[in-house]
This record gives sequence, C-alpha cells and structure tokens, in this order.
Amino acid sequence: MEELRIGVFICNCGTNIAGFLDATDVSDYSRGLPGVVFSRENLYSCSEAGVSDIKSAIVENKLNRVIVAACTPRTHEPTFRATCEDAGLNPFFFEFVNIREHVSWVHKKEREAATRKARDLVRMAVARAALLEPQTPIEASVIRRAVVIGGGISGLTAARELARKGIDVVLIERERKLGGLVSGLYVLGPVPRDARAYVASLVADVRKDRRIRIMTGATVERIGGYIGSYMVGVRSRGKASEIDCGAIVVATGAVPLKPEGVFGYDGKKVISLFEFQDRLRKGKLRGRRFVMITCAGARDRERIYCSRICCGSAIKDALLVKELDPGSSVHILYRDLMCYGVENEGILRAAKEAGIRFVSYSKDAPPVVEDGVVRVEGDVMGEELAIDADVVVLASPLVADEGASELSKMLKVPLDADRFFLEAHVKLRPIDFATDGIFVCGTARWPATTRECAEQALGAAARASIPLLAGRVEVEPAVAVLGDEDLCRGCGMCAALCPYGAIEIVETDSGEKASMIEVACKGCGTCAATCYMRAITMVHYTDDQLRSQVNVAFEEQATRAGGAVAEPGAAAPTGAGGSK
Amino acid sequence: MCSGRVDPALILESFLAGADGVFVGACLKGECHYSVGNLMAEGKIEVTKRILRRFGIDPGRLVMRMMSSAQGAKFVEFASAFQDDVAALGPVGSSEGIDAADAKLRLAAARNALADKKLRWVEGKWVEFQEEGNLYGERFTLHELGRMYEEIALDECAIQEIRLRLEGRELSAKELARQVRIPAYRVLRHLADMRRMGLVSVAAVGDGEPVWSSCELEEIPAA
Ligand SMILES: Cc1cc2nc3c(=O)[nH]c(=O)nc-3n(C[C@H](O)[C@H](O)[C@H](O)COP(=O)(O)OP(=O)(O)OC[C@H]3O[C@@H](n4cnc5c(N)ncnc54)[C@H](O)[C@@H]3O)c2cc1C
Ligand code: SF4
Ligand code: SF4
Repeated sequence: MEELRIGVFICNCGTNIAGFLDATDVSDYSRGLPGVVFSRENLYSCSEAGVSDIKSAIVENKLNRVIVAACTPRTHEPTFRATCEDAGLNPFFFEFVNIREHVSWVHKKEREAATRKARDLVRMAVARAALLEPQTPIEASVIRRAVVIGGGISGLTAARELARKGIDVVLIERERKLGGLVSGLYVLGPVPRDARAYVASLVADVRKDRRIRIMTGATVERIGGYIGSYMVGVRSRGKASEIDCGAIVVATGAVPLKPEGVFGYDGKKVISLFEFQDRLRKGKLRGRRFVMITCAGARDRERIYCSRICCGSAIKDALLVKELDPGSSVHILYRDLMCYGVENEGILRAAKEAGIRFVSYSKDAPPVVEDGVVRVEGDVMGEELAIDADVVVLASPLVADEGASELSKMLKVPLDADRFFLEAHVKLRPIDFATDGIFVCGTARWPATTRECAEQALGAAARASIPLLAGRVEVEPAVAVLGDEDLCRGCGMCAALCPYGAIEIVETDSGEKASMIEVACKGCGTCAATCYMRAITMVHYTDDQLRSQVNVAFEEQATRAGGAVAEPGAAAPTGAGGSK
Repeated sequence: MCSGRVDPALILESFLAGADGVFVGACLKGECHYSVGNLMAEGKIEVTKRILRRFGIDPGRLVMRMMSSAQGAKFVEFASAFQDDVAALGPVGSSEGIDAADAKLRLAAARNALADKKLRWVEGKWVEFQEEGNLYGERFTLHELGRMYEEIALDECAIQEIRLRLEGRELSAKELARQVRIPAYRVLRHLADMRRMGLVSVAAVGDGEPVWSSCELEEIPAA
C-alpha cells in the first residue's frame, strides 16, 4: 500500500471559528497524528485563496488524504471534493470535520473545552481518512419525462415551465377540474388580480402545449423507482395506467380550515374567509357591518404555525368591501398582522386610510361572537368593545391536505409536524427532497401566496430540468453493496427492511442472494446494520471506518490524564494562517 | 449518517473504547430523511438496552432522542440532560457496583452477543415485525416477540459471557453460575451445548466437581 500522506487544514472562518477556539493549537496538534504529514490554518478555506492554497499544498506535499476542519459539509463538501479532484486526487479521499456548527458556535464560552473537542474530532477524522478508498460516482440514465402531481397554480406553472424547456410532462389532478384552490377565490391580493382569469390563462397555456398530457379525476396509487426512472401508477376515471418518468414534482396544495367550533362558526352569519370570497364573487354578499377575525383556528395549541396568507387576504377583502359600499363598516380583529413586503404594507396603509378599524386582541382574551355582536377586549385601549356585525368573517389557516400522508408514504419523502411536505433543508435545499429526483412547490410545502407558489414552481421546474435535460445523473456512491456474496444467505431481511425497495433477492449459481440497485439506494445503512451475516458493506461508511473513529474518540483524554499532552495554550489565534 | 445505520455492535464498541454513555440522535417520527431509518434505529436501540440490562449495565447509559434540524434548543436540552445523567452515573461499572475489569468483560460479551448471527437474526425480525405493525394481529404480539427475544438473548448472552470468563481460566460450573448471575443448572446446560460445539472442554475433575476451560478458536469445528 502506498504511504499515507494526510494533510489537515484548519479553517478560521474569520473569527467564526478562531475566535472561540485555539485553531493554531488544533493545527499543531494534527501534525502529530499518525499519517499526517502536513497541517496548516486557513483564514477562509472556502475562499478562492483558501481553495488554491489547499490545492497547491496537495500537489507540493504529495498529499493523498485531505481533511478540512471548517463548517458544514452541506455547503462546502462539494467545494473541497472538487479541490481534491483539481489537484488530481480522488474526491473521496476528502474528509470533512465540522468545527464551526459542532464546536465554535455551540461552545462560545468554553475556549479550552472547545479546543479539546476540535482536537478530538480531527483525530477521529484522521483515523477514518486512513481507511478511505477511492470511489467513482454512479451514473444512471434519465427518462426525459416529468410527472407533476397537483393541478393548482403551482402544478400548472411547473408543468408549463417544464414543457417550455422541452420536457414531456404528465399533469395529474385529483379533481375533475384544473385550478386548485384559486378557482374558488375572487380577487387575489396584494396587487388585485382576478383569480379565475389567472387560472384560466394558465390552464389555456397548459392545454395548448402538446408536450403536456393532462389527467384529471386521477389518483396516484403507486410510486416506485428512483431518480431518472420512476414509475407512477395512476387510476384515472376507473382506468389504471403506469407512467415512467425521470422526476416528480409534488404540487398538491393545502386546504383552508373550515373553522368548525371556532368563534361560533355557523356557515351563515359567521363564515370563513374562503366562503366570504365565494359570496363576493357571486355577488351574494349581504350586510353592511363586517367583523373579520384573523388567526381563527391558527397559532393555537393544535396548529401552532402562522398560515401567512390570511392577514393579507383579509385586508384586501376588507378594501374590496369598502370599494363596493363606502358606507359599510369593517373591523379587523387581529393578534399580530402578518403583512410582509412593500405591497402588503401598501394595502395595510390604504385600509387604514379607508377607515377600516384594526383592533388587536390577545390570545388569552379572544373575541366573543354573539348574535349580531362581537365583544372584544381591545389590547391597546384596554377597554371592552361591543361591535355590531351583520357578518363575521373568520380568516382560518391553510391546513395540510388529508391525502398528504398517503402520498408521502408512496413517495418515501417526509412530512413535517403539521403534515406539510418537508424539504431536504429549509434554507439550503428548499425545493428538493432528500430523495433525488422529487421536488416540491406551493402550499403542499407551506402556506404561501400565489406569487410565492409560482416562484417555487419555477424553481422546482428548474431543479427538475437539470437531470431531465442532461439525460443522465450522477449519484453519490455512498451506497450499500453486497461486500461478501458468499456470506449472504438470501434470507431477504435486508430486502424487507430497505425503505427504498433498493434490494431484490435474485437467484444465482450459488443460491438466492441479495442484489442492490445502486441508483435506488440512498445509503441509509439500515440493511448493513441489520444483515445478520454482515454480508453488506456500506461504501464510504464501512464498519471499519466507523469503528476507527469510535476507537480513537477517547484516546486523547487517556493521554491527557497521563499528562503526556499539554493543555492547549492560551495564545491568541494567529488568524491569518496559511491563507493569503 | 442515518440512525438506521447504527449497528448495535458499534454502540458496544463505543462503550469498550471508553464511552460511559452513548447518545443516538434521530429524526422525528414521520420526518426521517431516510423515510423510516429512525424507526429501525428505535428497534435496534431497544434490543441493545435489553442486552445491557442483561449484563447488569445500566441501560440509561444508552439514550436515543428524536429531533428535527430546526430544534436546536431541544438538542441542547437533550445533550445537557444526557451529559448530566451520564456524569452522575460515572464510569461504566461504578453505578452498577461492578469493578472496571468485570465491566469490560461484560461489555465485550455484550458486543460479541450483539455481533453474533443468532441475535442479529432475531433483532432483524424484531425490527421487521415492528415495521409491518400488527400484520399478525392479536395472535402474535410485540409482547410475545419481546419474550421470545428475551429467551434467545438470555442464552446467547450467557454463552458469550461464559466463553470470555473461561478465557485463560478454569472455573467450575458453580463459580461460573455466580459470575454469570444465572442458576447453575442453566450454566451446565450451556456448558453441555458449548462442549458439543467444541467451544469448551472439561479441564480437570477436582474434588468431584469438574472445572471447565475454553478451547482455542482453531479447534472450533467448521459449521
Ligand atoms: C381564503 C383564502 C384566501 C387566499 N387569498 C389569497 C390572495 O389574496 N392572494 C394570494 O396570492 N393567495 C391567496 N390564497 C392562497 C392561494 O390559494 C394559494 O397560494 C394557492 O392556492 C396555492 O396553489 P397550489 O397549486 O400550491 O395549491 P392548490 O391551489 O391547493 O392546488 C393543489 C391541487 O392539487 C390537487 N391535489 C391534491 N392532492 C392531490 C393528489 N394526491 N393527486 C392529484 N392531485 C392532487 C388538488 O385537487 C388541487 O387542485 C388564499 C387562500 C385562501 C384559502
Ligand atoms: S440480510 Fe444479509 S444474508 Fe439476508 S439476504 Fe440480505 S445480505 Fe443476504
Ligand atoms: S443502504 Fe438503505 S437504501 Fe441502500 S439498500 Fe440498504 S437499506 Fe436500502
């Protein structure tokens, strides 16, 4: 075996890391670890200077393993893997240590302990690095067809965009008509827009496009496969069919909560905002005195979240009422006003100018709706108001669609605590799922305005089009392989437990054996941790690699107790390090 | 790394490497990034705790907590509680009233038991069963599966511990029974089985009571 030449780079992240632990000490310490031939600090490892410094250090010192102790692999693992590759090293010889999120940011007041922890983590990484093996990404071909589930604003926008990029689309809608929730609305805010006209123009575009096949009255029954090659089983008007596609966009929306049991809701004089819009649209609105109550059924114990769209929509509707009948009176009772952005601020100002009254109430003293009167303890004035009302309008939140659970199970993607679809990462990967090739947009993901939904739909279409247009995709090779075929007894336990259906039992010359579908495997490791024969190896996360880390985890503490290793010095961080 | 990847044997390796407690963090139920890896982990942690208990080691040293990446405060709470609890327990053995060398031997036996085919098989079935939920209805409940597991685990753990206790030592069944904390008749039954498998042999017959010793690994006949 070639000689180990490990290089360790300790990033200062400006003062983000070096301000809270002794980075110089960690760098000096690393140099004494087995196999380490080089170590240095970088001011910002991810900067151009940092990256080129690492690259030249790899070449000059003939490094064959590279460790960067910096921030989260979520953002910069691809950066440093590429750096290794540029320097002629297999990218899987790179190992990341997170000493920012896992150390400096969480131990800001414990400099010495933080330094010790950073040493521990680097030592563990060095142990693992020694056992790393070169890997090549797995390649798979991609069927150039997308399935969009849900034909509301989001699904329609995503389908239209995908088709414009030259991708075949199958749009699956559960109802008999396209359009989703917006079809039932009147005027959209904050900038007034005719809801039905908006839907109609989108539907017309989608119908016109020959790349888009529309299936209405259709339910998804089965989903199988993996990025590049999914199979969606649909039943449409009694007939079952299977659609092969390379990617899936989830745009199944949400539904407005019917505020049963809230503020005396009766569907007649006390109605939801959705019903109010319906009356407005149909010209069936009666009465001159209106009281709107926001957060009706939201931000309580059952639904702690803010539905974001109700405040703005209520204000817009209040303005509509005032326009229709300037002599009418409108009160908006609110807990907080979710009224973000310049345009919403604008309609809020306009509403105040139009004489719409805003009364804030507290959660502990909610308004009481009686026949024709709403009593509320005004938060600001502290006095009880009795407001006459012909109609009370409850702005209730959007809640997750009931079918979301079933669909999430079919797709094998998670929901959050409120049963909305949960993206791979709220900030870093907001439209992706952890499962490759499946994307989410619109209110299926979280309550949002139509404009936000359309933006997300464009985003989802853009993300999905990357593999769809490339026609091939590279998948992380950290997957399960049958490391020792002789050991496998073909018992099928792994196949039964794999959450992704990535294992099949096949007949071979030496009996039944497990066989992994590389592209379908997400590398969760369940199979390897379960196989009683230990026949399965997790590539890049082998038992030996994990054990090597665990085995050295407590090493330094032992030596330190013996006094062999000096306590980290209290010297000020050099900051500049090896970076220019 | 998914919590579903956490091999029970690896948990024991950690204790053997010097950990006084092991914390496994997982996604919230229904929010697992690998779909259901956390549920698989839950099953594995449960059986590992049972094995620790079997060896007289406080199962509180192994903690699994579920949280989402957005619940930083919760993680701090869990981590701090874990830290405090484990600090209160002290090194493995101290709160259990066993000396360090004995604790180490028990951990090694537990690791061997958990790494062994037999327990892994039942453990896999356990997890598989949990996954499938009540497919078997009332006739075969989780409770019963637990009992079955206990029985198999009891034997497997005893056998692994006897092996380690006899390494380089000769002991009588009575003495083994005391050390392994099970009745002498069970020890004798295990010894008989183990002799058949070529794992142990009678070293000498002392004052009417035979003493046993372990066989070298090479002597184990191929299965
Ligand atoms: C009272 C109220 C007032 C509002 N006011 C405004 C406003 O003023 N301005 C604004 O911008 N926004 C407003 N909104 C928000 C707006 O309605 C949403 O932003 C929009 O509906 C989201 O579109 P979508 O396509 O994501 O979801 P939806 O409109 O919910 O569409 C989802 C579609 O998917 C279908 N579907 C669901 N599950 C499946 C399945 N399993 N298989 C196939 N199809 C499925 C549904 O049938 C539906 O057609 C308001 C909402 C409400 C409730
Ligand atoms: S669990 Fe192990 S022995 Fe059983 S089929 Fe899978 S790989 Fe083979
Ligand atoms: S690692 Fe996970 S996804 Fe891959 S084959 Fe094993 S159980 Fe399935």
